[in-house]
Amino acid sequence: MIDELASKVLDGSRVTADEALALYRRAPTHLLGRLADAIRARRHPDRIVTYIIDRNVNYTNVCVARCNFCAFYRPVGSSDGYVLGFEEIFRKIDETIAVGGGQLLLQGGHNPDLPIAWYEDLFRAVKARYPEFKLHALSPPEVLHISRMNRVAVPEVIARLVAAGLDSIPGGGAEILVDRVRKLLNCYGKATADQWLDVMREAHRAGLRSTATMMYGTVETDEERIEHLIRLRDLQDETGGFTAFITWSFQPDHTERGGVEATGVDYLRTLALARIVLDNFENLQASWVTQGGKVGQLSLAFGANDMGSVMIEENVVRAAGASYCMDEVEIVTNIEDAGFIPKRRNMHYEVLGDPIFRERDVPRMLALATARAEGDTSVPDELRQYLARSRAGKQLRLAQ
Amino acid sequence: MTALSIFDLLLERVTAGERLTADDIAQLAATPDILSIGMLADALRRQMHGTAVTYVRVASCSYDRSFADAVSPVAREVRVTGSPSTLADALSAVRSAKEVAGERSVSGFSWLDVLRLAAGEGSTAARVLAELRTAGLEALAEIPLDAVEDEAAVVEELHRAGFERLRLTIASAHASAHTARMLRAAALQDRLGGIQAIGPLPMVLDPMRPTTGYDDAKAVAIARLAAPNVATIQVDWQRYGPKLAQVALTFGADDLDNVTASDEAPDGRRRAPLEEVRRNIEAAGFSAAERDGRFNLISR
Repeated sequence: MIDELASKVLDGSRVTADEALALYRRAPTHLLGRLADAIRARRHPDRIVTYIIDRNVNYTNVCVARCNFCAFYRPVGSSDGYVLGFEEIFRKIDETIAVGGGQLLLQGGHNPDLPIAWYEDLFRAVKARYPEFKLHALSPPEVLHISRMNRVAVPEVIARLVAAGLDSIPGGGAEILVDRVRKLLNCYGKATADQWLDVMREAHRAGLRSTATMMYGTVETDEERIEHLIRLRDLQDETGGFTAFITWSFQPDHTERGGVEATGVDYLRTLALARIVLDNFENLQASWVTQGGKVGQLSLAFGANDMGSVMIEENVVRAAGASYCMDEVEIVTNIEDAGFIPKRRNMHYEVLGDPIFRERDVPRMLALATARAEGDTSVPDELRQYLARSRAGKQLRLAQ
Repeated sequence: MTALSIFDLLLERVTAGERLTADDIAQLAATPDILSIGMLADALRRQMHGTAVTYVRVASCSYDRSFADAVSPVAREVRVTGSPSTLADALSAVRSAKEVAGERSVSGFSWLDVLRLAAGEGSTAARVLAELRTAGLEALAEIPLDAVEDEAAVVEELHRAGFERLRLTIASAHASAHTARMLRAAALQDRLGGIQAIGPLPMVLDPMRPTTGYDDAKAVAIARLAAPNVATIQVDWQRYGPKLAQVALTFGADDLDNVTASDEAPDGRRRAPLEEVRRNIEAAGFSAAERDGRFNLISR
């Protein structure tokens, strides 16, 4: 049975949900790896493994969603809550450009005190100062949040944000695209499975590209993991708008949900399965930020063809206990050690060139930065121009 | 797919119980196809050990600290860490470790420490080993193959001093140098015997030249394939970390060394990460069995 399935996969046939389940449950780990590796080799015969230099910035940690797997968010009114100022974000962009980056991955909490104008003004200000710089920003639940808070339909939110400078949408907030799971994770309210997919559909229709993600290892069954993959595959058939898929394990530390993390072998098997099921996805990223550099590198033998981002900054996974760091030198070393050719890319997976540190001196980066220095509770000046909705937000404005 | 058929041939030979030649091993080590190397090593380890993975809970304590405080009752081996500057310090550490350990075995030090202590005393390695042994030391924690000139002489010396179940390690050699070392370890076992385990330690982290997961996984697989006459291929639970250690189990390793007996979590000392160890072993498709410091299984 497994042998038949294996040859079916090697022939390039699409697997059904049942077949995927059989492979995931019964195929030996090395066989899953081999199948995924064969597909990776077919799609990327040049042995190129890409990565991007960009910075992972979280503009606010204030969030009304209250997902129970998240250790990053703070409730409205919390003394730890922050919103980054435009100047702070410009500084982060300057630092990103200094190490050869050309993009921010910009995501944040669902903050009720940031109206759509704040996002538009931020994006315009960034584009005015850095015309070539890219904004890979606002995952589907954030788009929905903006839509709900401002009573503007999703397609119009997307159109307005694009007009202001949005370049592409990250695939965050997907978790597991099955509503039973989403209810248990308390993330059904921020976006149902259908809503998440609908935002992506609208974004793709508007001409944006996006990534897709999966956070596994909470309460979902194997079947539900596969259902998630199949739903992504279906939408990709329809729109072709996804550039890449990224999966990672739930990071339990300091979260309300707690519990234990899925193991490294689980990760490699899940990654390989994703490569097999997502036959219409060009790129799969390795999640070194949750698995560590070494298992991250081994991902390249289990279907991944991209080492993700150097990140520069990371706040969300760090809050949940993982604190791995890889700068460009380390990512490139890992790619080459595994017998691949490293190339820098942009969000559209267009190759930009060879490692930047071989062209010019770039400072080594041995720890990821954070959104803000510990204890920095400053409130940016420009916030007072934007109407707050929450009581705490209104009081904050009055105090300014 | 010609590459596949070469591996298929090798796989047939491995499953037929045939020992791969030095050339086979060198060719395997040269390819980036880590999955095929892993499959071969896994096939061999399954022939030798089935699905069993052993682990040992070790209480590590620096030679200049109190063993009574550091050694948890659930530890199965007491390991003296650090490098004392005099033989007297080393001996008193071993004695206090042994006192706390009782029936449990005491390990510690590297072969390089033995040489250094001997030089410091104007004595010989044999004398130092004999004294450590009398004080209660049962095993050296590290015998780094990549740092000794004549490994045969070292193994003979240890045998003469009454050390059994030797554990050979590789500390810092680059992956490309591993293969030859592993083959020499296998030859040594043929000639002299008494080698229980090979532990390819992950290379020391150098931010300018970081070690990689491929290197570590390949070192484990090559050790397994090169030395089918050595029972145990170990990974160090703490130095590999849970995820890489678990992956290494699918690349030919059959033993998790140096599982902490208790550790200091931010909210206080907790029992050994036993559940985590067993969960990782089982999630990789193996069955977990605890052993003591002398490689005897502990029935539960």
